[in-house]
Amino acid sequence: MSFRSIVRDVRDGFGSLSRRSFDVTISGLSGLTGHHRGKCQSTVHELRDADLIVQESRWASLPPELLSDVIRRLEASESTWPSRKHVVSCAAVCKAWREMCREIVTSPEFCGKLTFPVSLKQPGPRDGMIQCFIKRDKSKSTYHLYLCLTNAVLVENGKFLLSAKRIRRTTCTEYVISMDAENISRSSSTYIGKLRSNFLGTKFIVYDTQPPYNGAIVPSIGRSSRRFNSKKVSPKVPSGSYNIAQVSYELNVLGTRGPRRMNCIMHSIPASSVEPGGIVPGQPDQIMPRALEDSFRSMSSFSKSSIMDRSTDFSSSRYFSSSRFLSDIAGGAISRDEDGENKERPLVLRNKVPRWHEQLQCWGADPDPGPVAARPGAGAGQDHPAVRQGVQGHVHHGLPLSALGVPGLRNVPEQLRHEAGL
Amino acid sequence: MATREAGKKMIMLKSPDGMEFEVEEAVAMESQTIRKMIEDDCADTAILIPNINSKILSRVIEYCNKHVPTTGATGAAASDTVAPAALAEDLKIWDAEFIKVNRATRFNLIQAASYLNIKGLLDLTSQTTIDTISDNSLEEIRSFLSTKNDYLPEEEQTIRRENQWAFQ
Repeated sequence: MSFRSIVRDVRDGFGSLSRRSFDVTISGLSGLTGHHRGKCQSTVHELRDADLIVQESRWASLPPELLSDVIRRLEASESTWPSRKHVVSCAAVCKAWREMCREIVTSPEFCGKLTFPVSLKQPGPRDGMIQCFIKRDKSKSTYHLYLCLTNAVLVENGKFLLSAKRIRRTTCTEYVISMDAENISRSSSTYIGKLRSNFLGTKFIVYDTQPPYNGAIVPSIGRSSRRFNSKKVSPKVPSGSYNIAQVSYELNVLGTRGPRRMNCIMHSIPASSVEPGGIVPGQPDQIMPRALEDSFRSMSSFSKSSIMDRSTDFSSSRYFSSSRFLSDIAGGAISRDEDGENKERPLVLRNKVPRWHEQLQCWGADPDPGPVAARPGAGAGQDHPAVRQGVQGHVHHGLPLSALGVPGLRNVPEQLRHEAGL
Repeated sequence: MATREAGKKMIMLKSPDGMEFEVEEAVAMESQTIRKMIEDDCADTAILIPNINSKILSRVIEYCNKHVPTTGATGAAASDTVAPAALAEDLKIWDAEFIKVNRATRFNLIQAASYLNIKGLLDLTSQTTIDTISDNSLEEIRSFLSTKNDYLPEEEQTIRRENQWAFQ
């Protein structure tokens, strides 16, 4: 419809217009003031009442392209924290704005920036790193993970990301992970998962309150994938607690000196996702379980039967399946089966062979003195390009486990041994 | 009606409430939408701007008048005597005053800027909106935008958590 014909239509009144052109005209006219406004809005009411649509306020009904323009500008101008919080605010205004924000703000894998809390569960950029650091409070047994905002690691200059609190139990140690800096408890609505270590601090399991994509939905890609995907959580694991990754430590060739060998198995991320062109499937769109899952969790805590219903097809726990996968890849980086079966394997990250660091006078897994916390497998299988890319590509899948449960990977052995009383 | 007056081509703009504004073609062409119509020869009679009332249209014209390039035929701002930097500074101050309007007017201005495709005015109105978002709490933003919180209680809780996280 040409500009002038729109003009004519407006002048000639609304009677002869089709419903379609009504919609077009209304979006523009709703902004009028004065007596014309009254006229147009009454028409809007008639139309929308007929459609049983509640009339939105004017800003909420800003034409999408205009709203998109404003949000794009905001997203571009507030590219760093702390001002990036305004993008989050913008997404909180109303549904229309939220949808637009979600569309415009891409995941860290593509934009290299953290925006919404869910960024922490999405893959990091493939061609760069996101530096983080941990502040540890020994007296309170708390850990706070921050995003580095400058090259210097200063808490004042960090954006808070996640917190954790260590809780000792008789046979294990648990780290409760929260998205609130102060309120770190399992009963809090900000609880997002936990990390459990064995008594010696040599094996860690990461639990998420949100089901992993491959534990909830079974994609129909062949028999082998079914086998892997049917491994969900052990019935013993409380509902709303999904084993998503496991980290284990072994002594290295140097014995008790230097960092131990680390193996990190990411159950919810297939090894294929780090190959060139690979994607990380089933990325969540929010950090917490959805309301429905929430209510399921609270409901199931009263009714054991619902857990059992959900668990009937859990033939074995993921722990055992992952042990087998672990042996599958032992002695090499991610190996490729001829029939491509590795597509269903979980991603495995490993640290480098320790090296003596002359400047720091200590054994280190990584010659780069930068923060290691946010780099779960810092340099795993250094010579394998796919793995190197993968390590960087999954910084954030590793965040809760590496950063909170296992404080500072490079110095872990000494610390943990000390904590375990060895 | 395109007329000639004192050597400048004039364009007639009409608002839907019947007001007519005669502006220089160069001023009108600050709007890419109008520019296209003029270039496509659709502007032989008065151009009716369908969804912008006279109050807003007059403000838009005021803006365009101020921002029309000072070089060339119009020459109103005597660019020879004022340094470009000072001129830009002057414009910035003028813009800041210009946008000090109530939120209904601002909303209408942003719509008009978008419809008429006037980049400078769109930048200005968008930036002002962004500044409002940046300077205020969620409640204040919602109140300013007169948007209704249309989330379900559970969704609202999620959003609160996200916001709280962002501000920690």
